[in-house]
Amino acid sequence: MQELLDFARGPLFRLSFIIMILGLIRIFILDVYNAIKAYKRAGDKRLAWGDAIIKTLRWIFPIRSAFTRRPIYSVVSILFHIGLILVPIFLLAHIQLWKSGIGISWWSLPNNWADMLTLMTIAGALALFLGRIGNKGARMLSRKQDYLWPLLLILPFISGYFCANTVLSPQAYQFTMLIHVLSGELILSLLPFTKIAHCVLVPLSQFIIALAWKFPAHVDDEICASLNKKGAPV
Amino acid sequence: MRTNVITSEEREKAFAPTKKPDVIERQKLDVRYHVEDYDVDNRPRRFLEAFAAILKHTNYRLALEHFIRVSTKCSRCAVQCPIYQATGDEHDIPCYRSELLLSVYRRHFTVGGSIKGRLTGSGHLTDEKIEEMAESFWNCTACRRCTLECPAGIDHALITHLGRFILSEIGISPRALVVSTREQLEGKTGNTSAIPLPALVDTLEFLEEDIKEEKGVDIKFPLDKENCEFIFIPAVSDFLMEAETLMGIAAVFKATGGSWTISTENYDAINYGLFYSDRILERVIRKLYAESERLNATNILIGECGHASRSAKYYVPVHCGGEKAKPVLNIMEYTYRMLKEGKLKLNPNVITETVTYHDPCNIARQGWIIEQPRYIIKAFCKNFVEMTPRGTENICCGGGGGTVSIDEIRPYRTLVGGKAKGDQIRATGAKYLIAPCANCKKQLRELVEDQKIDCEVVGLHDLIYKAIILDDGQTENQKTNRKG
Repeated sequence: MQELLDFARGPLFRLSFIIMILGLIRIFILDVYNAIKAYKRAGDKRLAWGDAIIKTLRWIFPIRSAFTRRPIYSVVSILFHIGLILVPIFLLAHIQLWKSGIGISWWSLPNNWADMLTLMTIAGALALFLGRIGNKGARMLSRKQDYLWPLLLILPFISGYFCANTVLSPQAYQFTMLIHVLSGELILSLLPFTKIAHCVLVPLSQFIIALAWKFPAHVDDEICASLNKKGAPV
Repeated sequence: MRTNVITSEEREKAFAPTKKPDVIERQKLDVRYHVEDYDVDNRPRRFLEAFAAILKHTNYRLALEHFIRVSTKCSRCAVQCPIYQATGDEHDIPCYRSELLLSVYRRHFTVGGSIKGRLTGSGHLTDEKIEEMAESFWNCTACRRCTLECPAGIDHALITHLGRFILSEIGISPRALVVSTREQLEGKTGNTSAIPLPALVDTLEFLEEDIKEEKGVDIKFPLDKENCEFIFIPAVSDFLMEAETLMGIAAVFKATGGSWTISTENYDAINYGLFYSDRILERVIRKLYAESERLNATNILIGECGHASRSAKYYVPVHCGGEKAKPVLNIMEYTYRMLKEGKLKLNPNVITETVTYHDPCNIARQGWIIEQPRYIIKAFCKNFVEMTPRGTENICCGGGGGTVSIDEIRPYRTLVGGKAKGDQIRATGAKYLIAPCANCKKQLRELVEDQKIDCEVVGLHDLIYKAIILDDGQTENQKTNRKG
């Protein structure tokens, strides 16, 4: 068991972390590349940069819009995201791993805060999952991954919480820790290939919308040529 | 999710079939709007060819690639969609509508999607899917309200816009729009309402006489004057339906001494291309710009019309030289500037009734024209009430995205599309509903009639015409009083 755990914490972690980083860089760069290509083709190159920046900030920190429509859903979703982002990055135990591994460290969350955020994230994910099941519209839209993601996301949170806060026999601890590490790694490596890609792509959305409405200058001629419609009546 | 669903009676009326069964059979298309006969063979293949050609020559791939990755299917957009709020039908959720096209893109234009599709032998484009898109994309009023709500920042209206463009390339577009555009671009009269030039000249002379009679002032509608500051192009339907708006605009130019002209070769700013085809959009814009060049006008001034203003403002630079293109203004921007500079005087004692203002989506959603008309209204209307929500978050009149011109779907527009707007108007209790947009005016007049709301739909310049103080400092009322 210990060997398996060491393997999971060592090479497997490095692999999944690299998959995540390279995957996220790939989709981010693809988006930026497409945007530059579109910008070069746009007939009008004046973009409302300020407007796009303000909108982007408003979308990433949806404080103003959160309480006007569907307030419960909004608050649950915001709390869920806060925990989901903060805990894995700023948990003291995680930082210590980084420190012993490659010698870097940063500010950490007090443990009781981390516990609270963990419970909040678990509750949030369950509430979002139930909300999705309970809402006719959301059910209609949902794909398999939309149901599976909240369930997968809470696995490392639940197992991590148990490891940190309960007295377990050594075998049980190792088993729980293994689940914690493996599920976390599964999440990391799936991240760039699923809807969770929004974690790096959402900051680009407003720029991309603004750019997508800037059309190239000669679409008529070119599309007519491609579709053999030159000179065809309206 | 809060929904304010229509009654079953209203539903029956709104969704009543508009076509004969033999037409549906012939066109293989069970939608409520009318379509000209088109080639019905191999629709999926031709749809994909058109899609591929459009992707190759435009910037849509950027948005589609982004949207398929970030979409989280949370259904938040549903709370913003007036159509879904009225029908309560999940097929009307903006994200569902977008997925119709995104799934085609994913399956046929991405590597992962086509490998998966080939392995499982599923998901390819079928005739049924095309029919569903043809129905769904024209149920949307393209008001772009959902875009404000999507946490991932997906622009569902852009996808509707693209979906309609692709459908139009295989011949599926509302006949009303296609026929009008054909007249505008290839017909004798060169405008969507087919108004011949002599009729236009007659109308303008008639309006001049009216103004003389009502205001006692000689005001001309200048035709084909070269080197003016503004070439004024309204939605052509204004010449038929909105006499008071035009008279108000002429009066504003008289009072402010602006140099303006109406062209005799192109007096129509309507651009249905914005609603169904980027190719048409480009042609109409080029035609409009050529006319401003012929008369050597400094600025292009669009009348009270939302989509005409938006298409000119944003696509004149795209197709006519970027930064160097002539500036495009909406008439309300001009009037606002003149009022601020003190060149325009309005009598605050003429309009005493309650007045409310409807923000046309095409000029308000992006935050372009919101406060200017309010500044003007507050300068002379004592009793101004706002609708909620307003401005960038306004609710569509229900006839947006070109649907207002499709007469056969009127019950759908006024009962489903205009349901939320109707409730909003009723809540203000206003006597005058100002809607500075040719589309919104037509739709709202039909809406107040069908929903039995007691109010009069007017343009902003209609009211300005009533209250404007010309030359000798007299308003219409003072003059009639003296005459009386």
